[in-house]
Amino acid sequence: MITILTLFLSSTFIIAQESYTISGKITDIDNGETLFGASVFLEGTSIGVVTNEYGFYSISAPKGEYRLLITYMGYSDIKEEVNLNKNQQFNFEISEVSTKLEEVEVIAEESEIAVLRKPEMSVLKMNIETVKQMPVVLGEVDILKSLQMLPGVTNNGEGTGGFHVRGGAGDQNLVLLDEAIIYNTSHMFGFFSVFNADAIKDVKLYKGGIPARYGGRVSSVLDVRQKDGNSKRFAATGGIGIISSRLALEGPLFKEKGSFLIAGRRSYADLLLKASGNDNSVSFYDLNLKTNYKINTNNRLYLSGYFGRDAFKLGENFSSSYGNSTANLRWNHIFNDKLFSNLSAIYSKYDYDLGITTAEFDWVSSITNYNLKYDLKYYFSDKFKLDFGASGIYYEFDPGKISPTSETSAVNLFTLDPKRALESGVYVNAEHKLTDKLTAQYGVRYSAFTRLGGQPMVEYENDQPVVYNEELGIYERGTEIGETVYDKGDVIKQFGNLEPRASLAYTINDNSSFKAGFSRVAQYIHLISNTSSATPLDVWAPSGQYIKPQLSNQYALGYFRNFKNKAYSMEAEVYFKNTDNRIDYIDGSDLIGQNTIETEILNGESRAYGLELLFRKNEGDFTGWISYTLSKSEQKSSGGNAGGLGINDGEWYNTPYDRTHDISISGSYRLIDKWSFGSNLVFQTGRPVTYPNGQYEYEGISVASYANRNSDRLPAYHRLDLSVNYKPNNKPEGKFKGEWVLGLYNAYNRKNAASISFGQNIETGANEASRTAIFGIVPSLTYNFKF
Amino acid sequence: MRNYIKIILLGIIVSFTSCTDVIDVEVQQASTRLVIQASLDWEKGTIGNEQAVTLSTSTEFFNTSNNTAVNGAFVSVTNTMSGEEIIFTDQNNGDYTTDEFVPILNETYQLLVIYDGETYTAEETMTAVTEITRLYQDREDGFDDEELELHVEYTDPEDEENYYLFKFQREGDLLPQFEVGDDYFINGNQVDEWFEIDEDDDTEKIDVLVPGDVVTIEMHGISEAYFDYMNILVDQIGGVSIFSSTPVALKGNCINITNPDNYAHGYFRLTEVNRASYTFE
Repeated sequence: MITILTLFLSSTFIIAQESYTISGKITDIDNGETLFGASVFLEGTSIGVVTNEYGFYSISAPKGEYRLLITYMGYSDIKEEVNLNKNQQFNFEISEVSTKLEEVEVIAEESEIAVLRKPEMSVLKMNIETVKQMPVVLGEVDILKSLQMLPGVTNNGEGTGGFHVRGGAGDQNLVLLDEAIIYNTSHMFGFFSVFNADAIKDVKLYKGGIPARYGGRVSSVLDVRQKDGNSKRFAATGGIGIISSRLALEGPLFKEKGSFLIAGRRSYADLLLKASGNDNSVSFYDLNLKTNYKINTNNRLYLSGYFGRDAFKLGENFSSSYGNSTANLRWNHIFNDKLFSNLSAIYSKYDYDLGITTAEFDWVSSITNYNLKYDLKYYFSDKFKLDFGASGIYYEFDPGKISPTSETSAVNLFTLDPKRALESGVYVNAEHKLTDKLTAQYGVRYSAFTRLGGQPMVEYENDQPVVYNEELGIYERGTEIGETVYDKGDVIKQFGNLEPRASLAYTINDNSSFKAGFSRVAQYIHLISNTSSATPLDVWAPSGQYIKPQLSNQYALGYFRNFKNKAYSMEAEVYFKNTDNRIDYIDGSDLIGQNTIETEILNGESRAYGLELLFRKNEGDFTGWISYTLSKSEQKSSGGNAGGLGINDGEWYNTPYDRTHDISISGSYRLIDKWSFGSNLVFQTGRPVTYPNGQYEYEGISVASYANRNSDRLPAYHRLDLSVNYKPNNKPEGKFKGEWVLGLYNAYNRKNAASISFGQNIETGANEASRTAIFGIVPSLTYNFKF
Repeated sequence: MRNYIKIILLGIIVSFTSCTDVIDVEVQQASTRLVIQASLDWEKGTIGNEQAVTLSTSTEFFNTSNNTAVNGAFVSVTNTMSGEEIIFTDQNNGDYTTDEFVPILNETYQLLVIYDGETYTAEETMTAVTEITRLYQDREDGFDDEELELHVEYTDPEDEENYYLFKFQREGDLLPQFEVGDDYFINGNQVDEWFEIDEDDDTEKIDVLVPGDVVTIEMHGISEAYFDYMNILVDQIGGVSIFSSTPVALKGNCINITNPDNYAHGYFRLTEVNRASYTFE
């Protein structure tokens, strides 16, 4: 494939004048970490690139004398005179600015030229230092909660896992930790995220305009990269908080040819509960590992892994645990100064386990995948760069196995049919500078999905897994008429989709640009969940005979502008997306232990549109941003093959992720070197929910009758968080640096409703509405250190 | 069985949520519907001739006036095999009664209600139930391993699909508690159903079971369709949390043949039932 592409390129593009290439890597001088997104430019020209995930850059320009300029936010600029008369390699080590600015530079690329000229849009990039500055609940730094302060990203209420991007569902986000798929991003049902900030280098969220190298989820890609580990010296980072503590160790290996990072976290609420005589217990821990080895200038190996686990216990009779495990082995190979490649072999698994002693049974479920991918980037010329590659993911779904735990157990051994599938993709994507003002990015991904055999498939009367009962006006399970058993070698069903992606950036002047983008994405696996918030028990299901792949088209337009020499900046985007084959669940669907998911669902579609505004102040003692999102997210599920009008009589209804208004204000103020203050203010329209619209007496109780799906809303959500950072007299020359963080979450103690439930008062019998609020005012104190 | 799994999840969440309080909420108001409670329950070992159907209307959700009885309707039940129709007598308090009903297992009956010029019908089959083999108390099981719970033991018949409805009520309590069950995971086994009352950490209004408490038990054999109906109804009693499925408008089996959109709430059920009572020691 490489050869073909190279041939294609060399025959199409005729090199007009003698041109040479500079390539190399940009790293941090202190710890040797490669820097992703640093700008490398030839001063006075528009020729430049940003470094890739591995710190690599390659620039080609006509022969001549240039000044090379390297910039990265929070780091000192480097200028280097180069005489470009031959291909050459330059590796640069850059150092952090000594009096570090509050790096509320959460967004986009570091160089303003890059922000404006790159067609990349709908991207949120988080610097881990910024995340650490923001006030947090219970003192634990949380990337996912920080992202929710930016436009287009919300959650489903406190105490729930996952996040929602531009009105999409939680399972429509592809979450990658060092390229490995993370199936559940939350610890403690969403109170914390699985990402340990001390082990993370950078975070990038694609809300749209998803590059062709990614596929498989229609809503967003969250690409989280772990640190490589300090290759210069041994270092430690850690923190002691009221809920959990963490420690990360890193250092050089193999005579500075490699490095390692090992980071761990553990909560100790369980120990406190036990000490206070409480039988209930909740805990989590996780472990991040990474190591790399530089074979030579052109070859480097990386090995990374994550292992995390949550455990719950309710008295002696119930216990549950769940977690993700991942591993990734990567080989970076630089073919020449223009061709960079990376080969990855990735493993990832999510499982949960539920033990119910009373009923004497155990429930185990898991999803496992093995992923092989090969990505290449060809820096053809200043005007043309090409990404291309291929990937294959093999999935094993084990939706559930119930086993009796004793002789006397009432439960029979029962296994839900395991499922297997193969998802593969090839892509090519070009970044093409058409004129000095116009840059385009265009490409295509071809994805294929093969549902493999090794299980029986149920067949239904009239091919209807769900049937509309005209008389009663309800959807019912179809009648099984038999089943086909597929052998492991058989193919049950195959799908293929062409996914074009394109975006365009038009630079109006040095300070502003317009961008437009289109992307089409296919999603082949789906999280089966009929609860308003995903739970750890929800199972993933592959597309097949009855569940079709989701297909989404997204269109976006944006205007980007810097003011006052980039002290201020503004981003505005509008988007529209529609997704075909979004399933929803029939009234009364029962998904737990359900072997035939197809009998519980109707096929539908969803659409979302909105306006996102972000205004930032990037410099000075006071920095921060205001973000506003106006949006709508709806879905529709018609009866289709099942008959009837469908859910909500086939009309559009709100998805649970619809938020009309979402305003977030985040700011931090540096008083003197020792003290800094942070605050967050959030306001959000309440989540769509379903309330009763009547009651009646039946069998001695008052039964609530419920209104149309998601036709009511919880009260608006708002809260204020505050934080104070105090850095005691740290000797500038000393290696040890300590810091106290005092946080106040929900400072005015707003009782935000996580849910409102309706029922009878047990004493009077009168109906009442009960609000459950998860967090009132929560103070926290954390001590962080590094040396 | 599946309910255990739902309940544990709720239990976990409830134990870590910090605060629940009663608030004022505005709700939508649907149009009034007829409510048909036609529960023809045949207690094992009795003739089962005395039966009642109760008619009322639905009201606004927070309404507390209880007088919704429907009088002046026509109510009858017909055995579709024999064609014998029994007309229920209007007691002018919402109840319609008879002492002539003839229950036969596995036979299908049709309900006819004529009210306000509209005709409602429903069909259902009389469903058998297996016997309770043992009633006993214990402390170890249940959600709380220290509090008393009641155990109901029975053997699920192996050769058929079985669906159960349990109704537990402690003497002195205003509200009964319901459980539904199927034999999906437990077919043919000896099954132990338990009933426990858990203390509410927030309000402490609920008292756990103590020696001297008397609990009445009803164990019904029910049809699959009624199981589906009660499964949703029981799920939605007491409201829903963030980890419950989205609540839905519940539709029973009483259809309005005059005006199908104006269907009735409630259900026409025919069950065989075990009734028992247990005094805690």
